[in-house]
Amino acid sequence: MGLTAKDIEHLKEALQQAVVKCSERCLYQSAKWAAELLDSIPDASPAEVEQRAAGGVGNYVHPAFFPSADPVEAALEAKELNRYLLAKSFFDCKEFDRCAAVFLPESILSGVLSAKLSEINSPRGKGKASAALPADHALPALSQRSLFLALYAKVISGEKRKDEDSEMILGPQDLGAVVNKQLLIVSRFLERWFAERQTEDGEGLPPSQGFLEYLYGMVLVKQKNDLTAKEYLMQSVHIFPWNWGCWLELTNLISRTEELEKIAPHLPQNIMSFIFHANTRVNLYQQGQDLAASLNDLLNIFPTSSFLLTCKALLNYHSKDLMTAEQDFSNLLALHPHRLDSLDHYSNILYVLNSRPKLAFLAHLCSSIDKFRPESCVVIGNYYSLLSLHEKAVQYFRRALTLDRSCLSAWTLMGHEYVELKNTHAAIESYRRAVDVNRRDYRAWYGLGQTYEVLEMHAYALWYYKKAAGLRPWDGKMWQAVGSCLQKMGRDRDGIKALKRALLADTYYDSTASSFGSAGPVDRMAQMDPEVLLQIASMYDRLDEEDEAKAYMELCMAQEDGGAAGAEGAGLGDSVAIHHDSPGGVASDGETEGAERASGHEGTGVTVATSKARMWLARHAMRTEDYPAANRLATELCQDGVEVEEAKALIREARSRMELSNMMDR
Amino acid sequence: MSRYLAPARIGLLALIELYTEEAVPTDAIVPVVNFLASHLLDCDLTISSPTAPPDRWAKAESAIRLVLSIRDFEQVLGPFLAADRLPGRRLWDRFLEKLWHIDSLHGLQEFIDRLPNMLAKTKEELRRRAAAGKKPPTSVLLSPTAPFGAFVKRSCLEFSRMQFNHSAELWQGFVKYRQPTAGYWRRRNPQHGRLSFDSVLVNGEEEWGRSTDALAVVAYGNMLLMGDLDETVTVSTDDIESLLEIQVEQLHRYGNRIPAGLRDQFRHILKDSHFIPSLAHYLNYSDTWRSGDYPTAFDHLHRYFDYTMQNRGRLFYQYALMNLAILQSDFGCHKEAVTTMLESVSTARENRDTTCLNFALHWLFHFGRAHPKLVRELESSSMLGTGKETLMFLQLRAKESGMWVLWSSALMAEAKLVMSNGDSVATALEHMVRSSQLNIERNMKTMMGAQLSTIATLWDRLGLAHMSTMTCEVFLRCHARNSIFDDELKMTCRLAGLLAGKGRYEEAFEKIEGINRNSLDSVKASQYWHLFRGLLKLRRDLHRGNLEAADDLLSQLLQAGPESFEPDMVFMIDSLHIEALTRRGEFQAAFNKIDRLISELREDNRDISLRIRLLLNKVHLFDRIDRPEKGFTIAMRAASMAWRARLVPLLWQAIGALANILNALGEFAAAAQLLFAILPRCLETDSIFVVATLYSLLADARMGQAGEVQGRSDAHTHERTEFLTRAHEALDAALKHYSAVEDVEKQCEMLAKKATLMRVMGDDVLAEDCAAKYLVMKRAAVGRNG
Repeated sequence: MGLTAKDIEHLKEALQQAVVKCSERCLYQSAKWAAELLDSIPDASPAEVEQRAAGGVGNYVHPAFFPSADPVEAALEAKELNRYLLAKSFFDCKEFDRCAAVFLPESILSGVLSAKLSEINSPRGKGKASAALPADHALPALSQRSLFLALYAKVISGEKRKDEDSEMILGPQDLGAVVNKQLLIVSRFLERWFAERQTEDGEGLPPSQGFLEYLYGMVLVKQKNDLTAKEYLMQSVHIFPWNWGCWLELTNLISRTEELEKIAPHLPQNIMSFIFHANTRVNLYQQGQDLAASLNDLLNIFPTSSFLLTCKALLNYHSKDLMTAEQDFSNLLALHPHRLDSLDHYSNILYVLNSRPKLAFLAHLCSSIDKFRPESCVVIGNYYSLLSLHEKAVQYFRRALTLDRSCLSAWTLMGHEYVELKNTHAAIESYRRAVDVNRRDYRAWYGLGQTYEVLEMHAYALWYYKKAAGLRPWDGKMWQAVGSCLQKMGRDRDGIKALKRALLADTYYDSTASSFGSAGPVDRMAQMDPEVLLQIASMYDRLDEEDEAKAYMELCMAQEDGGAAGAEGAGLGDSVAIHHDSPGGVASDGETEGAERASGHEGTGVTVATSKARMWLARHAMRTEDYPAANRLATELCQDGVEVEEAKALIREARSRMELSNMMDR
Repeated sequence: MSRYLAPARIGLLALIELYTEEAVPTDAIVPVVNFLASHLLDCDLTISSPTAPPDRWAKAESAIRLVLSIRDFEQVLGPFLAADRLPGRRLWDRFLEKLWHIDSLHGLQEFIDRLPNMLAKTKEELRRRAAAGKKPPTSVLLSPTAPFGAFVKRSCLEFSRMQFNHSAELWQGFVKYRQPTAGYWRRRNPQHGRLSFDSVLVNGEEEWGRSTDALAVVAYGNMLLMGDLDETVTVSTDDIESLLEIQVEQLHRYGNRIPAGLRDQFRHILKDSHFIPSLAHYLNYSDTWRSGDYPTAFDHLHRYFDYTMQNRGRLFYQYALMNLAILQSDFGCHKEAVTTMLESVSTARENRDTTCLNFALHWLFHFGRAHPKLVRELESSSMLGTGKETLMFLQLRAKESGMWVLWSSALMAEAKLVMSNGDSVATALEHMVRSSQLNIERNMKTMMGAQLSTIATLWDRLGLAHMSTMTCEVFLRCHARNSIFDDELKMTCRLAGLLAGKGRYEEAFEKIEGINRNSLDSVKASQYWHLFRGLLKLRRDLHRGNLEAADDLLSQLLQAGPESFEPDMVFMIDSLHIEALTRRGEFQAAFNKIDRLISELREDNRDISLRIRLLLNKVHLFDRIDRPEKGFTIAMRAASMAWRARLVPLLWQAIGALANILNALGEFAAAAQLLFAILPRCLETDSIFVVATLYSLLADARMGQAGEVQGRSDAHTHERTEFLTRAHEALDAALKHYSAVEDVEKQCEMLAKKATLMRVMGDDVLAEDCAAKYLVMKRAAVGRNG
């Protein structure tokens, strides 16, 4: 995707405008995002700069002074400038109610709302009511910018109050039931505003700037009216595509790839839409060459954009290429040492890689920059979790949530910690809140399943595992969980299917991961998990399909010398190793087996699973009167030192039978 | 700021780990363990020689040194070789290896996590280990209840309690603490680089390239940018508190001020900690109090109690009032002090705080002894009862509540009361013995000063000067180390006074000047010191007839007013004033002053010895105006009072005065008999001036007797000559003793008398000789004074 110098010039201008417009409306995060993106565009070559300088400094106009394109709006804005500046200062000082009252004092608001009510209550008496209250009835004549600021302040003040009312995290008041009381007012107002526009007398009104649609969409999202919200948000991005917050709201509304494909044609075709598409796909845990390619394209335009670099790192992370993801984040950190955003993901990666000193350093760095940012708290919590100091970890996750209740990863991670602390009740609640914040968080779904499995409520667990598997269809771990759950419920047929899927998924990851040309833990997927194979085999065994069972048992046993991969599978199935989506059993590293496991990293070797398979095979051989085979297998078992007593008994029996048959033969 | 752990403590932990790894060679074990123990325990294990003056601030100084710099470790560990590595490696190298091995924040965490391995295992743990197939540990193990073990355990606990940012701060502080050794470490390990203080940075350098520095600065903050300019010190709250406690304890125990250097260092530490314990205000208060800065002391006292008024669920208002009262009385605001103390008493009663109540009553009792006027109204309104009742009450309460110090000092006070009332010596002694038994039973070293000074007083009153001197010496040599500086000062002054009484002024001054100048920082002590020095000088000047200098000194001393001195000292000034007036011949002024003082003393019911002294002064005055017979009754009264109270030195003086009157009345034989009887005993009292006076009186009596013999007939020339010879002997003795106390006027008088005697005896040459000596002496005195 090549851009000419002129294109880049236009892009820069558009972004500058976007920053100004967003910060005029106190959309700080969007402004920050746009500014970061703007800064990451490399400067033009010196020749061009000179050329422009020759054009004269005098021609330079600060983007803040571009007048509004629409004359009516411009006039209104000019008229309200003083009041606008007042309101903006109030907003900057976090006096939201006061800010709202500058443009929308209670009298006007109540007038507007009551008029609306009367319209609803008595459709016949509309004319009469308007005649009675002509002044109050009409919407105040405000510029869209001021109107947005006022209404936005109202929403924010409502959010603030909502957080205050919820009180302590996971406390008695914190049930997620507290609502933002300003939403109703704002949505009524905006409904009215849009209604006015659609009627015939709205012809003369100036065209919308897009921000009010964004606000309405945001309010609708909060009211869980997703469909309408999506409509308004799409309208907004059509009118003003540079508002990243709006795109982000859209991303949050899309929970499946199909939805994304569905709305893609209706979106405007520009670079923002392109970024949105890539970001949403990353957030949906998609992966593939094309996504990586499109991210690379974007990075060609914005080489140092921290946002895009984060996306790229996350993409690698989701496709289980941890080393590359770690490197990406590390580079990002070096590039923007003061940036805390998304460092929580980095800490997750370091956690999975068990890179303790680095994680400690990261936590130190974060806490030096700002110890009261949710990201810092999550990083520190992760560090403590890695040290198996779960109480402290919970404390830091709680702090993160107190700072920002919508901090998704903190909810999930806190759930993990509660599981470690055997507080299943709190764990379930935490996971539930995580899922409520973001329905795409497969880790929370998986955690929920795991918790219910611990509680031996398999039917419940199955439902959550299925959810997780739906979100990550190519993650073997999900399917494996589904399979073992089904197995425990006695639905062997379905279980076998699920587990086979798991095997398939593992090999899929292997193939995609290799496309990134990385080494390291990914290779371990090159062979099948003996544990899964054993599970499948034992289910077949229970279904009395001996041939299948035997085949899988042999396959399982074959894994011992199958390749140069690790013995990760051992004991994974029913362990509580649920931290993150790590393929390894890192979470249980603090336990005693840690060392032993680490030592088995090179070859598969003998594992519990393969030994079990061997034992089964030996018994099977006894049953089918294949004594030499039984003898061989049992001897191997003795050599491996697993279940020696039983193996010796088998050997004795097999030998005696063989001798007997020898004697018979003679 | 962490509560307990600080970089220095991590150093101690590392050293303990070295010790358990048996890296410490045999010859270094004692110094290393001693070093560790002196920083972990309260006691000091180094045996200081008993003669050397103990350095009381050594502990605080070494604690501060350790907190500030790693050099202390080097001093201890440098000289020894490590036992477990290549030869040539010093123990210091091993220690540094250990410290530099902690190479990241996580390294610190690991270091702390590893610590419990050093602790001895419980049986349960051993069984679990055995079950897991592990062998029991073999290296040196620390019992969890031993000092080292407790320290290790506590450190682990405190670390696990820390918030993350605190442990990060600790890590940063540790990096900074360790940094001075980087140069040395680099010489030993060439691969050591600039960023080696954090291995994550070193490893990241390949990846991050030039932005590594930026990252390091972000993580470590100003520490890296400022370099040496950054003087912040990481200390733990615990360090600061223990330092404060040491200082307050020193202040309380010895009454010293903190040396300036130490104070500055401590301020430096406090500056960087955003936590200032309230005890620091108390320290400031004590310091300003002792330095005599009255308003600031008030300010600090109020601040301290504002912060601690409601501490641990208890009210401390009464203590605040008590401190305030003591402060006020120290600065001479006696009236305010009394009202404040009374309020303290009532508050203590309200709050049922026996301890405070007892102390307050005790203080009030002593205060009442010192300033009877102020307390008199109180006693009459029967709020406290008389002194004796208070004392009984105090003794009872102290016994009940086990406040041994209070009990002992109440007993002592009672002994003093008995003495000053002139009651039975045996009773006084009984109280003293009881108090002494208590002191010894409870090992109250601090009470030794008060006890010995009471005993010395008793010996003094009994006229056993050498016993008194010995008691003072015993205190100064054996007990001064453990007691308040005030006691030491007073004992030294008492000793100097005794020496001066013997006319050994130079030695006396030497004693006084020999007092530790540092301890005289405290304003009260230095005031007392200066006053006593002035008094000694005054006495010497008076004796030497240097009246101008004496006037100078007296005007200064009298100016200070009775508010700022203890009543005993005030009396001494007054009596010297009277003497000066008498010597100058202003008899009327002297007489008026004596009369006034006598009536005052009687009103206040003061020490009986003072009253006798005044009576004797009065008699002396009558003698000076040549009407000795007028003082007869007074002298008789003084003698009988002194006899009753067994005030032996005063008794001899009174008898001397009587003999003088007898002389005047012409009863020479009786006078001579009296004087002959008392002279040997008077010699025991070591008061040379009195002895000299007695001798001169004896000479007078003998001369009188000689005159009588001459008057009767000529036949008794032989007898007359004998009397004259005896008079001559007495005059010689008197002259000798007068010259011992350097009393010029009396010496001249004696010489004149001697010359007359010689002429009477017909030895003109000798008479001329004496006259010439007289003139020389007179001229010398004039020359010296003029």
